[in-house]
Amino acid sequence: MQDKQFMKETLLDGARAYRAGRMDRRTFLALCGAAGVATNAVLAGDAQAAADHIVMWNWGGISEECHGNAIGVPFTEKTGMGMRFDTSGPLEGKIREMVDSGNVTADVADGDLFNAVSLGPTGHLEAIDYDIVSKERTLPQYALEYGVSVILYGYAFVYDTEAYGDNPPQNWADFFDTEKFPGTRSLYKWANGSLEAALMADGVPGDQLYPLDMERALAKIQSIKDDSIYWGSGSEVHSMVVSGEASMAIIWQNRGKNIEEDTEGRYKLVNNQAMAMPGAYIVPKGNPAGREAAMQFIATAQEVPSQLAILECLGMTPSNPEAFSQIPEHQQAYAITSAQNIDKIVFNDPVWWGENSSEAVNAFLDAIS
Amino acid sequence: MQALTRYISPGWLLVAPFFLLVVAFYLGPLVNILWLSLTDPEPGLGNYRMLTESDALARILWTTLRICAITTVFSVVIGYCLAYAMVHAHQKSQNWMLTLLLISFWISVLVRTFAWLMLLGHNGVVNSGMEAIGLIDRPVRFMRNELGVLIGMVHYMIPYAVLPLMANMQTLDPRVMAASRNLGANGVQTFRRIYLPLTIPGIVASSLLVFILSLGFYVTPAILGGGRVLMVAEYISVQLLVTLRWGTAAMLGTLMLIGVLALLWIMSRFMRLTTVFGGGATR
Repeated sequence: MQDKQFMKETLLDGARAYRAGRMDRRTFLALCGAAGVATNAVLAGDAQAAADHIVMWNWGGISEECHGNAIGVPFTEKTGMGMRFDTSGPLEGKIREMVDSGNVTADVADGDLFNAVSLGPTGHLEAIDYDIVSKERTLPQYALEYGVSVILYGYAFVYDTEAYGDNPPQNWADFFDTEKFPGTRSLYKWANGSLEAALMADGVPGDQLYPLDMERALAKIQSIKDDSIYWGSGSEVHSMVVSGEASMAIIWQNRGKNIEEDTEGRYKLVNNQAMAMPGAYIVPKGNPAGREAAMQFIATAQEVPSQLAILECLGMTPSNPEAFSQIPEHQQAYAITSAQNIDKIVFNDPVWWGENSSEAVNAFLDAIS
Repeated sequence: MQALTRYISPGWLLVAPFFLLVVAFYLGPLVNILWLSLTDPEPGLGNYRMLTESDALARILWTTLRICAITTVFSVVIGYCLAYAMVHAHQKSQNWMLTLLLISFWISVLVRTFAWLMLLGHNGVVNSGMEAIGLIDRPVRFMRNELGVLIGMVHYMIPYAVLPLMANMQTLDPRVMAASRNLGANGVQTFRRIYLPLTIPGIVASSLLVFILSLGFYVTPAILGGGRVLMVAEYISVQLLVTLRWGTAAMLGTLMLIGVLALLWIMSRFMRLTTVFGGGATR
């Protein structure tokens, strides 16, 4: 495995050097021969192709098309490099495994900014090059050493207008009040967002959430345990809500928009006190296309047209402040950084999550099971 | 060479390549898991010490054992009835029953899990049907709790219980039962004192099979449990993928492996495992 990786890297370096004119053709072909790559494959461009595209590791679904159109197309125009996808979902454990095994096949992973805090210092990520990536084109607290927030997603909630039509729930305190609003709740089972919502419901101001008071948050979550079920994926919570199993659910705000549309407004999204989560593009250490290409890609994703295209296609909100004022009218209610919402939301602290997520997730799982 | 063949049967030479393959690709990773459980995050028995120190782990293990035990009891009892009916049915209906059983056996666990949600879920066929005829006012909670997990698991496991039981029952000599009746025992006595004891190897085999397979259940508890039923397999996956506590995951994996081996060993003290797994059926 190690040898193969070494040969691959040598070959890629060779291919780049050959293209840049630093290596003559004969030497390059000899290198290919030594690596066991058929010459005709090289002439057809196979080996060069590996260095000529970037592999984005995301979560599949429509995001493949969206990332391709919103970032891939302008990136190709700018650099001449293509874009491919690995849609298996870059969970933290998978990134660590990929880097540890020495067989890195992805260039940019569509992860969370807190992944950058936990995986960066352990040597699993390339540091962000702020000569290429812009610090101004993201929120100041979200430009970290190993990751930069490219989009924001949010934890908000939806409620059933038929159950609470006359006096709808308006904030997290209402969400956790099962006496005033009887019915089943659905919460995210990997703690994220649920803990903050519980603390805000318990009266902690949105700007004083961190460091999270775990005991207080878990006590609040346990107080509605008998009325709670928990979801692990966007499609799961979607079906829990649409099938009527849950009358209220903590949900990603873009998924909430889909539910509003699918149920023709029976379920309504509440963005008040929504928590903005920094989604980040992070780069596994030793990525095949090289660090610079990955940084170029991230820089492209920061540009306003890409930011707005992602919002339109995926419902993920821009993190580049330049784009905030250009959020179109029909997205105002759903985009969490729109003029309509930005003063009502709270911001997640990826540093706390990066450092404490293991304990937090395990404590949460223990509390709900 | 002469001396060598005296001690080692030349047959081993034929087997050796495959044997080495199995050692390399099967035992290798297992040893790696064991190693990980002793070295990550730091060398020592820290991961195993968590078993006594962490209430959470103890509770997850207890939930897992409890659910597996209940699943085993129900699957084997229902499986026993099914197997009994199948063995004693007419050949033609037996074929039909076997076909139906195998169809259910071959359908993916994910499909079967979602089918239960459709049937017994909040707006499922059963709940809306009962509401329509006025039996209930509000939907009954069958799913997203431990009951849901048990229903899903028992349903999945019944074919695994039936097959070893059937194999066992088919080898019984019907003349033994006839002789018992002939000597004056009634049907219940014959069943209790002759038939049941003769099918114990089948019961043990299917219980073992169902219990061991249940230990690793992941999809069904995750979906039908609504997040409230946390079993070891799901916990291991969270430790691997989300919290990156590979040492804890490896420790739990090792524990499950040792548990299964210990179970087999205890059984082997009471009966020959070859009998249980069909080898002794003709003897």
